[in-house]
Amino acid sequence: MKKKGLIYLFIALAVILLLGVPAHRMSREHVNYITAVEDHPLNCFSCHLYIQKDNFLAKLVNTTYLSPFNLAVSPDGGKLYIVAQEGDVLVVIDSQSDQVLDKIPVGKHPHSVVLNHAGNTAFVSNQWEDNIYEIDLNSLNVIDTLKTGSGPAGMVLSKDEKFLYVVNSFGNEVSVIELDSKTEKKRLVAGNNPTGLAISHSGDLIYVSSRRVLPRPARAPVKTEMTVIDATKQRVKERKMFKHAYMMENVEFASTGDLAVATLIRLKNLVPSIQVEQGWMMTHGFGIIETGEDGRIIQLLTDEPNSYYSDPFDVVITPDGEKAFISSSGIDVINVIDLNKVRKLIAESTPEELKTYSNHLGISSRYVLKRIPTGANPKGLVLSPDGKYLYVAERLEDRIAVINTKTLETEKHIDLDGPSRITMARKGRRLFNNSGRTFQNQYGCYTCHPDAAEDGVAYNMAGVGMGRNVTNTQTLRDVGDIPPFKWNGHNQSVYKQDGMRFSTYLTRTEPYNYDELDALVSYIVTGIINPPNLAYNPTGELTEAQKRGEKVFFRTHTNCGKDIKPKDRCYVCHPPPDFTNKNFENVGSLSESDDSIPFDTPQLNNLSSSSPFLHDGRAKTLEEIWTTYDPGDRHGITSDMTKDDLNDLVKFLRSIRDARYYTKYYSEEYEELLKEYYSNNEYRNLK
Amino acid sequence: MFRPNRNLPKAIKVLFISILVISISGFSPNNQNTKIIPGERHDNQTTDGENSRVIGSGNNIADIKKEAGEMPVYGNWKTFTKKDGLPANKAYCVRIDGDRVLVGTSGGLGVYENGEWRTYTVEDGIAHNGILAIDVSELTGDVWLGTLGGLTRWSAGRFDTFTQLNSGLANNVIYSVICDGKHVWSATGGGAGDYNTYTDEWEIYMERNAPMHEPWTYGVCAGDDKIWIAAWGGGVIEFNTKTKKFRDYIDPDSQMELDVFPDDGVVHDITTGVSYDEGILWVATYFGVNRYDGAHWNTYFDHDSGLLSNFNNFCRAVGPVIYFCTDLGLSTFNGNTWVSYQRNESNASGKVMITNGPKLTDDIKIREFPVPTSICHNFTIGVDVQDDEIWVATSYGVSRGERLKK
Repeated sequence: MKKKGLIYLFIALAVILLLGVPAHRMSREHVNYITAVEDHPLNCFSCHLYIQKDNFLAKLVNTTYLSPFNLAVSPDGGKLYIVAQEGDVLVVIDSQSDQVLDKIPVGKHPHSVVLNHAGNTAFVSNQWEDNIYEIDLNSLNVIDTLKTGSGPAGMVLSKDEKFLYVVNSFGNEVSVIELDSKTEKKRLVAGNNPTGLAISHSGDLIYVSSRRVLPRPARAPVKTEMTVIDATKQRVKERKMFKHAYMMENVEFASTGDLAVATLIRLKNLVPSIQVEQGWMMTHGFGIIETGEDGRIIQLLTDEPNSYYSDPFDVVITPDGEKAFISSSGIDVINVIDLNKVRKLIAESTPEELKTYSNHLGISSRYVLKRIPTGANPKGLVLSPDGKYLYVAERLEDRIAVINTKTLETEKHIDLDGPSRITMARKGRRLFNNSGRTFQNQYGCYTCHPDAAEDGVAYNMAGVGMGRNVTNTQTLRDVGDIPPFKWNGHNQSVYKQDGMRFSTYLTRTEPYNYDELDALVSYIVTGIINPPNLAYNPTGELTEAQKRGEKVFFRTHTNCGKDIKPKDRCYVCHPPPDFTNKNFENVGSLSESDDSIPFDTPQLNNLSSSSPFLHDGRAKTLEEIWTTYDPGDRHGITSDMTKDDLNDLVKFLRSIRDARYYTKYYSEEYEELLKEYYSNNEYRNLK
Repeated sequence: MFRPNRNLPKAIKVLFISILVISISGFSPNNQNTKIIPGERHDNQTTDGENSRVIGSGNNIADIKKEAGEMPVYGNWKTFTKKDGLPANKAYCVRIDGDRVLVGTSGGLGVYENGEWRTYTVEDGIAHNGILAIDVSELTGDVWLGTLGGLTRWSAGRFDTFTQLNSGLANNVIYSVICDGKHVWSATGGGAGDYNTYTDEWEIYMERNAPMHEPWTYGVCAGDDKIWIAAWGGGVIEFNTKTKKFRDYIDPDSQMELDVFPDDGVVHDITTGVSYDEGILWVATYFGVNRYDGAHWNTYFDHDSGLLSNFNNFCRAVGPVIYFCTDLGLSTFNGNTWVSYQRNESNASGKVMITNGPKLTDDIKIREFPVPTSICHNFTIGVDVQDDEIWVATSYGVSRGERLKK
C-alpha cells in the first residue's frame, strides 16, 4: 500500500512537472511578451480579470462611479447641484447637513449645470446627447429638453435670462437658445473644441474658451482662440488669440470688470523633447485678459522651477475680485492667486518683461498665495454666494471638498454616496489623470490625451535621431483591441507602451510599479469609450450620401472598370470593426525627417473628431489626405474619383462610430467581401 | 390740270384751294422742327438721328424725380479708385454691411468704413486676391467671400478658407455666394455647392445630379424656401429646399440668336445672374433679361425697353426694384419704370435715362437727362443698395451714389 501510494505520488509529481514546467514556461514567455519585461509577476488575474470589457466578469469587477465634474450653488447657498459625469445624474446636496437630497437622472455624460437667478430652474448640458435638460428645482424633475449642436458643454444665461448660450464642444460653435420659444436662434462659430464660457457682470460680453489649437501649417507655432461675443447683438465681436497656448478649459470674469482669467497650458511642441528642465514639454498657468479697449492678453504661470501644477481646469474669482482659485487637476491642488499682486505685476512691467514672465518659472512666487491639496482630480469649482466657501468637485473621489476661502484650509469633504470600493480601472484612471509620475510633475497622460482622446498636436519625442519622426498624438479611446501601439507599431501591448519605454522617453522618472501598471492598463483597455457619433451617424442608418461613400470605401474596381488590387482597397487595411488591420503599411506619407518604416494602421472609429490626420498631422482635413498628400495613389486609389465621389467617401468616413457597433453586423452588401477578407490570410499580411 | 367743279359751293372751293396751296408749299405739322423744352415731353423729337427712340430732355432734379415716379433715382456720385485706397481698380462686387462697405477687387478685399479704406489680401488669409462675390450672413454677421481660389469666411477678424482640396467645395472659382440661414450656397466653375454651417458638410450639384448641361454656374440666389442657380448653358435651375427637388427653366425656343416667341420663358440659356425679392425672380443673361412672378415670364431687351444693354453681368433685387449691371451702364426697373445711368465717354458727367413703361411703344419713349456726376465706368459688374445709398462696382473703380430727394 505504501509503495502504491508512492507510485501514485510519483506519477502525480511527474504529471505536474511535465505539464507545469512547460506551462510555466509558456506563461512566462506570454507575460514577458505582453509586458516587455522579464520579471512581471505571473498573476493571470492582474491582466485577464481586469481587462474584461463587457462580460459577466467585467460587471463583477467594475462599477459605475459618479465622477463629479462641474457644479453650481443655489442663490442662498443652501444647496449644491453637482453634475456627475459618469453617473449621468445631477446630485443635489444640502450644503449645511452634507446630505444627498436627490440624484436626478439626466442625459448621457453631462457636462455643466447653470441655475437661473431665482434658483428655481437648472439647465444641465448632456454632452453625449446633444441636448440640455431643463429641471424644475422645486419638484426636482426634468421639465423640458432643448436641442443644441454637437457636444454641449459650458453654458451661461443672458443677463435678462431670455437666452441660454451653450458651447457645442464637438461642433466648435455656440448655440443661442431663446428660452421663451425654447428654440435655437443661431449658432456662432467659436474656436476649436470650445468648452467654457463666462458672461461679464455687465452682461454685454461673453468669453468662450477653447481647448485645441486652430488649424495651422505643420510645425507652425500654435495659437488658441478666446471668442468674444457681443451679447447685445448676439454676434461674434472679436477673436482673441493666445499664442503658444492651448487647453483653455474655462474662463471667468472678475466682478471688478477690469479683467478675466482663463486657465491654459503653454505648449512647447516645436522642439525635440530633450530639455527636461526649465519648461520641457509644456508649462501651466493662466491668462489675464484685460477687458478695456485695446486690452492685452498676458500669460502667467502657476508652475515653479522644480514643480509643475499640471492641467489647470477651472477658475473662480472671489466677489471682491481679489483672489482667484484655479484647480490643477493633474496634481490635485487648488492654486490660490492674489489678483491684486497680478495687477501690480502687470502695471509695473514692460511688454518685454511680461513676455519673459510668461515663460518664467520663478514668477509665480509673487502671486501664488497658497496651494491647497485636494483629493484625486479636482475639476469644477464654485464659490458660495457670500464667497466664504469654495466647493471643489473631486472627480475621482466622488466627493466635494469644502475650502474656507479665508483660512485657505479644507474644512470638510461631502461624500456623494458613490461606490465605496476602488476598482482596478478606477486606480488606473487616477494614475492616468495624475502627473505625479512625471519629472517634476510636469504632465500626465491626460495632458496630451484630454478626455483620453488626443490634443491635435504633433510632437518630436526625443528618441534616436534629434528632430526626426515628428508624430501626431493618437486617441486612446477604445484602443484595447488594436495592438500594436505607437505609430511605428513597436509596442505590442499597452503594458509595453506605458512601461519602461514610457518612463525612459516620456516621464523621465521611475517607471510605474507593476500594480500601478496593471491598474493603468486596466483603465486604458476597459474604461475609455468613444462618445456617440450623433452629428453624423446617430442611429446607424446611413444617409444616401454616406451609402454612396460606403460603396466607394468598399469598391474593388475604379470608375473605369479597372481592378483595384487588394492592397489598394480601403477595406483591406481598414476593415471593421476597428477599421484597422493592425498591420504595418506604407502609404507614401513619409517625410524627409521620418525613418523609412511603415506605420501601424490607425483605427478610423469616430474619425470625425480627431483632426489633424496622418502620422504627423499634416492633413488638416480628411479631404487633404487624398487631394494633397496622396500624389501617387499610394494611400488607396483615388485619382480616378470625381469630386463628389471624394465628398461621399469623406461623409462615410465621418459616419464611422465606435467599434462595438460593427462587431456583429455589417452591411449585407459588403459582408461577402469582408468574409473573403477575413478568411484570406494574404489580405491581412499585405505589405 | 385739276380744276374745281363749277357746281361746288364757294366755301368748299376756297378750302380746297387752300389745302392745295399748303401742300405745294411743303408745310406739314409733322415736319415742323419743334424746339426741345427741357422737362417737357415732345413726341417724335430726337437728339440722335440714328436712334429714334432716345429723346432729348431737361436736367432738373425735380423733373427727373417726377418722371421717375416711385422709382429711386441716384445722383451725387462719388468715385473711388486705387488712388483713393481701393485695393485695385477692377472691382467685381460690392456689399453694404451696416456702416461699412465691402468691395471685392482683383487685388483683394477693400473695406470702406469711417471714410477710410482698408485692404485685406491673401497675406491676411483670404483664399485669393480676386474676389468675385460677397455676402453677409444675417444671422451671424460673418462675411463670405467667393474668390478665384476658394471660399473664405471672415468672422470677427478670422479668415477661414475652404477650397476644393481641403473641403467639399466643388471648385475654387466662385462666381457667386449667398447666405440662406445656416446654409451658404456658392456658384462655382464646377457646380453649385451648399455648405451647411451647422454640420460642416457639403452638397454639390452638377450635371450628374442636377438638371444642368454643364457644371459652370454663374449666379445663385435664395428666397421663399427656394434656391435659384444661373447655370451657363443651363438657364435657371430651381432647387426646393423643403422637397430637395430640382427643376429647370430653359429657353423654350432653344434659339441662341433669336427670341422666337416673346415672354415664353428664360430669354437665353446662358444666364449670368439671378436675384429674388418680393416674389419676383429676375434673371440676367448676355442676351437680355427676364422677370418671373411664378407664373408669367417677361423678357426685356435693349431695343424694346429701357434696358441699356442685352449684355448683363449681374443683377440684384432690392424690394421691388431690380438693378442690372450691363456693359453700357446701370439699368434699374420696378416692373413699370426704367431708370438707367450712363457715364459720358469724354468726362465725368453722365445721363439718367427714364422710360415710363415696361416696353417702348409709340407713346413710351426714353427720356434722357444730363447730370453732372455719374458712375465711374459703364462696364458695371456689381451693385448693392441699402436705404438711400447705392454702390456700383465697375471695371474701373467703385462709385457711391445717393438717392435724390424731392
